[in-house]
Formats: sequence, C-alpha cells, structure tokens
Amino acid sequence: MTPSFASARAAVRRGRIVTAAALAGMAVVYLLALRYTPVEAHQGLAQKIFYLHVPAAWTALLIFSLMGIVSVIFLWLHDERLDLFAEASAEVGLMFSAIMLTTGPIWAKPIWGTWWQWDPRLTLTLFLFFLYVGYLALRSSIHDPLERGRFSAVVAILGMLLVPFIHLSVYLFRTLHPKPVVLKPSAPSLPPEMLRTLLVAFGVCLALYLGLVMMRYGAGVAERLRDAGGEAGEVPDAA
Amino acid sequence: MPPEPPANGGYMTAAYIVAAVIYLGYSFLLWRRSRRAIGG
Amino acid sequence: MGRALRLALAIAGKDLRAELRSRTAFLSAVVFAALVLVIVNFARDPTALPALALAPSALWITFAFGAVVALNRAFAVEREHAALDGLLLAPVPREALYLGKLLANLAFVGTVEAVALPLFVLFFDVPLGHALGGLLMVTALATVGFVAVGTIFSAMAVRTRFAELLLPVLLLPFMVPPIIGAAGLTSRLLDGRPWSEMHGMLRLLVLYDIVFVTLSTLLFPAVMDE
Repeated sequence: MTPSFASARAAVRRGRIVTAAALAGMAVVYLLALRYTPVEAHQGLAQKIFYLHVPAAWTALLIFSLMGIVSVIFLWLHDERLDLFAEASAEVGLMFSAIMLTTGPIWAKPIWGTWWQWDPRLTLTLFLFFLYVGYLALRSSIHDPLERGRFSAVVAILGMLLVPFIHLSVYLFRTLHPKPVVLKPSAPSLPPEMLRTLLVAFGVCLALYLGLVMMRYGAGVAERLRDAGGEAGEVPDAA
Repeated sequence: MPPEPPANGGYMTAAYIVAAVIYLGYSFLLWRRSRRAIGG
Repeated sequence: MGRALRLALAIAGKDLRAELRSRTAFLSAVVFAALVLVIVNFARDPTALPALALAPSALWITFAFGAVVALNRAFAVEREHAALDGLLLAPVPREALYLGKLLANLAFVGTVEAVALPLFVLFFDVPLGHALGGLLMVTALATVGFVAVGTIFSAMAVRTRFAELLLPVLLLPFMVPPIIGAAGLTSRLLDGRPWSEMHGMLRLLVLYDIVFVTLSTLLFPAVMDE
C-alpha cells in the first residue's frame, strides 16, 4: 500500500518547483499590496496586513476541512496515501495558522487598540492552531503507522466539526470583528484593486500549500520507507 | 477633505517581515528535510 | 438495538463495580475537584472581587479539570489488566462498547460533580435556591457533550506515550463550546435572568450533544479495530 520510493522522489521534485513558483508569486503579492493597492482612509497602512492575514486564514481553514474530509475517506478505504497526505497537510496548515496568529494581533493593535480580542474569528484562529498542534502531537506519540492513521483521522474529523461550534459559542460570548466585506451576496464593498490583490494572494497561498504539501508528502513517504525497510536494503541510496 | 489616514506603517512592516520569515523559514526547513529523505 | 443497550449497561455496570471496589480513583478525583475550588478561591484578590462574582468560573473550571482527571483513568484500568483485549474478543458491537464506556464515565464524572456542587455552594456562599433545577439540567447537558468526546479521546490517549498530557491537549479545545454555554447559563441562572436570555446557549449545548455523541459513536470502531 505504501507508495514507492520513486514516487516520493518525484513528489518532492515537483513540490520544489511549485514551491519556488509560489514563493515568487508571494513576492508579487508583496509588491501588489505595497505598490498597487490604495491606502485605506480610516485604517492607514496597517490595513495592508489584510492581504497576508486573510488569505492565510482562509487557507488554514480550508486545509483543516480538507484533512477532515480526507480522514473520512481514509477510515473508509484505509489507503495509506490519504493518511500521509493528511499528515503533510497538517504541518503546512500549522504554518499558515502561525501566519494568521502572528499577523492578526499585529493588525489588531493599531485598529482595535489592543493586541488580542476574544472575537469569534480571532478565537477561531487560535483554536485552529490548537487543533493542528494536538493533531501533530498525537501523531508523534504513536508508533504503529496503522494505529496512528486511524487515531489521527478520528481527531481530524471531530476537529472539523468543532470549528463551527467554536465560532458559534464565542459569537454568543461576545463579538467585535469587522463584518465580512467580501462574501456578501450584493456587490463586494472592497475597491477593485483591493479585491484583486486579495484574490491573487489567496491563489498564491493555495499554490504554496500545494508545493509544500508535495514536498512534505514525498519526505513522509521516503522516511516511512526507510523506517520500515531500512535494514533490508530495499531503499536505494542517492543514485 | 477626507481625514489624513493614521500613521501606522510600522505595524504593517512588522507583519510583512514576520510573514516572510515564516514562509521562507518553513520552505527552507522542508527543502532540507526532503533532500535528506530522498537523498538528493 | 435492545441487545446493544443491554450490553452497554452490562459494560458500564462492570466498570462501576470495579470502581466501587477500589474507591481510590473516585476519592482522588473528588479531592482533586475540591482542591481546584480552593485554588480558584485563593487565586483571587478578595478586596477586588467578591467570591460570588467568580462563582460560575470556579464551578466550570472545577468541572472541566475534574472531568479530565476522571477520564484519564477511564481506559488506564483496562490497559493495566489487559482487560480490553478480552472485551474486544467478546462478541460485543463496538458501538455498544462505546455506549457502555460513555455511561460509566458519565456516572463517574457525574458523581464527582455531585460531590463538588455542594462544596462549591459552601465555599463560594452561593444562594442556589431557585436556580438548582436549571443548574442541574445545564450541568447534565454540558457534561454529556464533553464526556462523549472525552471517552473516545481517552481510549486513544491511553495507547500513546504521555497519555496524561495528550488527553487534556486534545480534549480541552473540545470543552470550550460546552463550557462557554454552561458558564454563561450558570451566571444567568444565579442572577435570576429571564429565559429569553438563555435559549441561544441552551440550543448550543443540545446541538453539541447531538452532534458529538452521534459522531463519537460512529468513530469509536476506528479506535478499537486491530
């Protein structure tokens, strides 16, 4: 069931190319955000954190949902590749949630006047981070790969359903976050330059996820093959 | 005349640097790890 | 369905009888809960904050940590005596096994809460009176939710390294929605607020219970399969 060493190598190589392209795209996003978009009248330059924070947050949330769905399929089909993919996604998702957790308070300080607010969406980013860490901590404390796959799939599925509950419950607790400005049914209230830059940034984040997850997946496959059959000499050395 | 936007470019710079460090740092770590894993 | 329920009750009964025979775990959990109440009380500036203002927080901090400690031992006992292997060999549907474990854990956590509640009233001088019925209902709803998730997590955690640490790291995020609902309801109940201020949080608790009891029952076989 474990994919071959050759396919791991191919995944890593493809992942490197996509990652390099995505990082170049990220440089373009930086240029667009700093040069092309207008300075917002009320929030000043700090508003430009939006172009980093929001796409990273969307990506982190999307990755966690994807892990949940992949985990459901894994429990059904027991295909090891799905588990390895979920593992790779969790690590990359943790990186995106680190971006949103650091840029969020830096944005909140000049706009809200405080580094942290228990606002539903900001709290959600914190709990996404906790879920990623818990998921990876569980994985790293189980030896047997099959057991690790099943247990972490259970956590990913339960976590996927926890996310809306966290949002709802903190909303009942209190709320302060600016209302959504993009996903309104009527025309979005963002100026076109801002919207275009946001969508480009989101696309770049998705490409970066794709590249990093391929690298991480390939590395995970190769490491598992080494662990399983290292002594038997099945794994070719650098050829 | 609209009001002058607040001067808070420092926060923006800080956030942009932090994000760049995380993106590049993780990409580098993963590149090193994957190179070791596939041996090339 | 009837057979599964009977099996679940038998499993729960076996667990509780074992618990009653040793009593150490139960006594320790109760003393632990009492100690949390004491700590919360002393981790407060008495000149700035009256005990009653902190009462809902004290109650739910105690219930949350008491439940984590109680759940930590839920599968540890089976592990020690390799009793789980016997249970898994027996022709018991995994869902019935989960329900049995859930019922046993609910009884255990519920008993700890039943002892902690009077202590809480005593230590924090809470005028419970009219709020008692509502508080019992809220406690039951919140406890079912996080014990449902806690039961499946403790079955996993016990098979890892650092089980005692991993269970709270996994479980505490899942405790946040029920605790937000329950603590909010507790303070409104103690203040004698009208029902119209409570039904949002009550709905949250009920929805959480339905979703996570169902989901945990469905997912439990994935934790037990060999």
